[in-house]
Amino acid sequence: MREFIFPETINVYKMEEKQLSENESLELISKMINKAKQSYKDTGVSSMMWGIVISLCSLVRFAEIEFGFSLPFNIYWLTFVAVIPQILISIREHKGKNYKTYDDTYMLYVWMGFGISIGLLVFITSVVGNEAAKSSFPFYEYISSFFLLLYGIPTFITGTACKVKPMLWGALLCWICSIATVYSNGKIDLLLTALAAIFAWLIPGIIMQLDFRKAKNELVRNHV
Amino acid sequence: MFKDLDPILHSQLRLAVMSLLISVKEAEFTYLKEKTEATAGNLSVQIQKLKDAGYIEVIKSFKDNYPQTTCKITQQGVKAFEKYVAALQTYLGK
Repeated sequence: MREFIFPETINVYKMEEKQLSENESLELISKMINKAKQSYKDTGVSSMMWGIVISLCSLVRFAEIEFGFSLPFNIYWLTFVAVIPQILISIREHKGKNYKTYDDTYMLYVWMGFGISIGLLVFITSVVGNEAAKSSFPFYEYISSFFLLLYGIPTFITGTACKVKPMLWGALLCWICSIATVYSNGKIDLLLTALAAIFAWLIPGIIMQLDFRKAKNELVRNHV
Repeated sequence: MFKDLDPILHSQLRLAVMSLLISVKEAEFTYLKEKTEATAGNLSVQIQKLKDAGYIEVIKSFKDNYPQTTCKITQQGVKAFEKYVAALQTYLGK
């Protein structure tokens, strides 16, 4: 006669090399897969940091134009400075992790590709901008459109792959803002860029951080 | 009753390890120990059995001057796991 053990009686905490029933086996597989899934939670720290950096740069630049003052340095240098804490965050998160998911690897390449593309875009727009400055064409009025277009790509992929819906909506907002900036002036472009950064990275980052803390607390509670 | 079920996988701890490894790209020994809550000795023995069967790959290295064991499921392991789950479903469907 087939032995049936209720799932509640399965003791996964003192695993021995014992025979399992079919139900026990399936229960164990699903428990372990769920346990693995719980570890996937992203801290959202990088997302929050970039959301703050990009929105801050755009808002400070907007304030400079609007209120007629000028900082002794270009506020956009902050984006390059922010790469240092990003590297430190990545190293710390990598060291603290004793597993690697397939998503981790793909996401790393997606965001690395994005970083390289942004660097190239900065270079291209500065070269083209210098040429455009010789004519009456207001090239700098259109730069935000290219950046916002690019912001949307890794955000969309991350939002879809990691099932972070707010990031998905944020990515769509980046693309909407990208179109809107074609028709708006430079000052409005800066506000739209700040808005896109807040919705694409800052807010999803906060949500991810809250989820991460919740999962961490649950894990601690289950071990007590 | 269980003659079609893979005996290597049809053990509590080995099945738990395989279920974890199928969900991630690779995992350190500490991760497997933390999730299965098994003893280090027992886990080592079962990992060795899975390795001998060719279901997992075990990579020994050093991290911050400490020895580190990383486990990764092989293609053979994935196929065996899928076959095992399919066989289980057949039994339950009967």
